[in-house]
Amino acid sequence: MSQRRKVAASQGKRAALENDGGEDVSFTQPTSSQLQRARDNFTSVQVDHKAAEVVQFILIKDQKKIPIRRTDIAKHIVKEYRAVYQDIMVRVGLIFERVFGMELVEIDTKSHTYILINKLEPTTEEPLSLNPKIGLLFVVLSVIFMKGGVIKEAVLKNTLKKLRVDFEERHDEFGDVKKLITEEFLRQKYLEYTRVPHTDPPEFEFRWGIRAEKEVSKLKIIELVGQLHNQDPQIWTQQYREATSQSSQSSQRS
Amino acid sequence: MSESRRRVNRELQADVGDQQNGMAGRSRVERGPEMAEDDDAGAGPSGVREDEDDNPSHRREIRSKYRDLINSVQQNREDMLNPANSKLTDVLEEANKLFVDVSQAREAVLDSQLLVLATDLGKEKANQLQAEGSLFDPAAYAEHLLSFMGFNRLEDEDDNDEELTGFLPSDSWQRLAKRASGCFRTAPSFHYMLGSFLSEPPQPKQRVERQRKAPSNEANRIMPLQLKKMEESHQEATEKEVERILGYLQGYFEKDPTLPISYYEFVIDATSFSRTVENIFHTSFLIRDGLARIYLNEEKIPCIAPVDGEGDAAMSASRQQCVISISPKSWREIIDAFQITGALIPAQNVLQQETQMEETRLLLSKDV
Repeated sequence: MSQRRKVAASQGKRAALENDGGEDVSFTQPTSSQLQRARDNFTSVQVDHKAAEVVQFILIKDQKKIPIRRTDIAKHIVKEYRAVYQDIMVRVGLIFERVFGMELVEIDTKSHTYILINKLEPTTEEPLSLNPKIGLLFVVLSVIFMKGGVIKEAVLKNTLKKLRVDFEERHDEFGDVKKLITEEFLRQKYLEYTRVPHTDPPEFEFRWGIRAEKEVSKLKIIELVGQLHNQDPQIWTQQYREATSQSSQSSQRS
Repeated sequence: MSESRRRVNRELQADVGDQQNGMAGRSRVERGPEMAEDDDAGAGPSGVREDEDDNPSHRREIRSKYRDLINSVQQNREDMLNPANSKLTDVLEEANKLFVDVSQAREAVLDSQLLVLATDLGKEKANQLQAEGSLFDPAAYAEHLLSFMGFNRLEDEDDNDEELTGFLPSDSWQRLAKRASGCFRTAPSFHYMLGSFLSEPPQPKQRVERQRKAPSNEANRIMPLQLKKMEESHQEATEKEVERILGYLQGYFEKDPTLPISYYEFVIDATSFSRTVENIFHTSFLIRDGLARIYLNEEKIPCIAPVDGEGDAAMSASRQQCVISISPKSWREIIDAFQITGALIPAQNVLQQETQMEETRLLLSKDV
């Protein structure tokens, strides 16, 4: 037991040394001597306790699927334990992985925001909570992916219109569709909505957001699209190649 | 075309250099009216065409033609992007021709603006070329999705599918979501299995908005002191009484909404002092919960009226408290003054009444 703690401690120290300071004013990384002193101040039990609190905090914050900021974690939970923040986060990552089967991913190293993704493979059973927005999101993401990674807003609008989903009108199930797609999905980092330069009136285009990159399996998407078309997904050679390369990358990582 | 551009660049520098010698600057420009027809502006008869250059109407014409071109590019964007035609190239050729006459910075700026637009379009067209190879058509995809989602076509539909006829069953998006959820590795949302509840009483600040909650939950300071003890011992009975009284109040008001009810007339029971005190006590609950309000009428006599709940927020902002005390002597005086004979709130249970009477008397004697 103590060995594991020592390993975690040394990892934490290394991480602290590698991090360059001066990110947020309220969160400068401590030097290794400060870190050692801080570590002596808090017992391992206390740090474990704090880690458990952080886990609860993240679980609840993740309900809305909006990325969680490190400043929020520091301000509300970690507070005076800030010096050993790295240690806490190492334990938090372990807890998520071993107890919940989830992974805490830092999606933005500059502003330090995290998301939770599921490390386990999705089962074939019925999912517990079914949100119809997933269906809409799937359509948007699959169209973007099959069209090479970027689409114009007009293309998306036309496609959705054929599915009886209109940006301008209120949909029975989704409500304000434009808001859902351009704001909510954007804030959850499923989509990116950028402006095309030199256009007047301004036009926008859609790309996959960083949460989509981490959470969504391109291979599964292209397989599903193939099933819907009743065709072998390999006929779309370029996209298929991209999908298989993504899955091989992730299998290398894990 | 690049040669003429170099010429213009030099000329621009010359313009900046010597503003005074306009003539000298422009003398370097070699131009001829025949060149307007030629695509290749490299070689041509040299000659100073100062009249042409100084001619403001000619320049205006050039500028307006440029603006037309720019507009046409912007408006017909989709058209230009269509790989089937060469409209973009035509525009570029037009621009070339126009550029031959350009000698001033203003027109050159317009020309460069047009070029920027055209190159953007060119880049998009090139992107399209790449995508074409993958043969994915969103329109066909939408059709496949519709059939998966169980789309029903209406019976008497024409071949023309431009108008959106037919309808999707209500669970169609759910069906798609179920199928698509396998593609996502979303972390499941965290919820307490058995729900959650607030275990501590809310702070005083929030109390102002939460007046609708049952009185038992809140540790309240607005309530008069004597009522606290009563509440703990006979909570259920109190609530029932309060509701009963509210019923009477609303009943009287329904019968005649315009006639205000005098507060004293309402609470006083001419036959029993203790009953009166109970009534005062119960109506104070109504007031505190915002279900009734006391106000002074024109003669400065307090009247009571029920509140239908919409003015809750406004009322809670202007809450006032007062403590009402009554002694048997003043009770009798009020009966005489108002000529009260009966009781607007009929008595209910004699036994309950007596036990409550005991306690009320005890508490009141403490306060006095």
